[in-house]
Amino acid sequence: MEEQLAELAAKIADLEAAGGGAVVTNTMFAETFYYLTIPLMIIIHAGFLAYEMGASRLKNVLSSGVKNLLAFAFMIPTFYFFGWWVYWGFPTGLPGAPGPAGISGVEYANSIAWGWGESAQYMGPNIADQASGVFFGAFAMFAATTASIMSGAVIERIQTVGFIILAVVLGSFAWVVAAAWGWHADGWLVTQFGVHDFGAAGLVHAVAGFFALGVLINLGPRIGKFNPDGTANHIPGHNMPLTVVGLMLIIVGFWGFLMACVIVPGEAWSWFGDKPSTIYGTPITLSALSFNILMAIAGGIIGAWLFTRDPFWMMSGALAGIISTASGLDIYFPALAFIIAFSAGVILKPCADWLENRGIDDAVGAVTVHGTIGLYGVVMLGIWGSGYPALQGAAGEVPTISLMGQIIGALVFFLCGFVPGYIVSLILKVLGMLRVPEGAELAGMDIVKVPASGYPEWGGDAPVTPAHPAE
Amino acid sequence: MFPYEEASWSVVDGAMFMGWGSSLPGITTLIAAIICVLVLVIGQKSEAAKARAFKK
Repeated sequence: MEEQLAELAAKIADLEAAGGGAVVTNTMFAETFYYLTIPLMIIIHAGFLAYEMGASRLKNVLSSGVKNLLAFAFMIPTFYFFGWWVYWGFPTGLPGAPGPAGISGVEYANSIAWGWGESAQYMGPNIADQASGVFFGAFAMFAATTASIMSGAVIERIQTVGFIILAVVLGSFAWVVAAAWGWHADGWLVTQFGVHDFGAAGLVHAVAGFFALGVLINLGPRIGKFNPDGTANHIPGHNMPLTVVGLMLIIVGFWGFLMACVIVPGEAWSWFGDKPSTIYGTPITLSALSFNILMAIAGGIIGAWLFTRDPFWMMSGALAGIISTASGLDIYFPALAFIIAFSAGVILKPCADWLENRGIDDAVGAVTVHGTIGLYGVVMLGIWGSGYPALQGAAGEVPTISLMGQIIGALVFFLCGFVPGYIVSLILKVLGMLRVPEGAELAGMDIVKVPASGYPEWGGDAPVTPAHPAE
Repeated sequence: MFPYEEASWSVVDGAMFMGWGSSLPGITTLIAAIICVLVLVIGQKSEAAKARAFKK
């Protein structure tokens, strides 16, 4: 009998040890999952770097690169200093009261997101915390993405420090407020209006796109972009292949971006023990993303090819395809995602032309691709996804997705981007920190700002031609 | 469009996409396929017309 009891005790000990191993394995999996999203998202920035430099003329190519690199670099520490705190502090709005899920409010943010005092244990190496650093890393990359979106629109005439200030306001504050409100289980847009934006079409892309619009209004067009009669010219970048490859790299990085929007199962902070979820606690699978992202990329490219035949717009169409479906990548049927993305690819160039004909010089179409299409995606989900529960919980107790809710969300995301972009750029303009002097712009930003040459043995820029020759 | 009677994720244990259990997936698949074919037809026509301008 005693022998049997001893054998039983040994088996229990083995089982307990195996169970502990499984817990450790799951924790390591969760940590590795988010860790890997970080280099994948850095590929987005490799893409933005190539795309922006390719879209610049020879005389500006390196300064565009410098600006892009600095935006990325400043985003990390500023998001560490206060952006992460804003995200956790204000999901319920001002003054930062705690929400029903218990993971929000100023008091909560003070306890986990400051780099000093007791809170600092979650903001640095900690053997008992394998989550905070990788979550922070993924969110810091989202922040850097917003800055890069704005960066392309303003190339070839903005001052470096003025741009960095704008990038910090956008990346470590404006989009973070939108994320707290619409991308958090306690966010008031979610709990009160059922806003659903799984892949951040509105709260990252639209916020960044319309922030850029606010800046562009104050910044003004590049010299030579518009003729005295108001017609626009096409100012070609120096390297279209580099731009197109850059756009493809952004697409690669998107897989990491959207992967980072998934909450893995089995951890103390997970929504489920056995299945992954969205940031709202609603179920999702990586298979859903694979189906829908691929179909969206294809739809966007095909839609853009139909009327433009231009590889720049085709790859922008790929981006537009993903962005137009991003809000509902968790619940769209793949063929429906394809159709929505196709429509986004079709409307992309006309929307960009509309903006250009109103005197806005968006050098890479960022306002349209990210702003307009981002809002289009948020509203599309309201049309197709009405009735879906927006949060985890019992029927009748949680809000559902609705067209009105998504429109309200789209409006809030627009304002979160446009208002700070316009106001801060206006202040910078008044202070003389927004635009380089005319002589410097004509000479080229590289000769003014960068002690190096991109292509020292090459000739001049391609000729400037009418943007819409048929008109 | 939620494919279950009760608006709660707790009742979902399988397909959760829009239109599951209805004809929507089939209809959208057909539309997507038609789009692909139509785009190729339009593309071929316009490209051939442009290429004719360079015929020697």
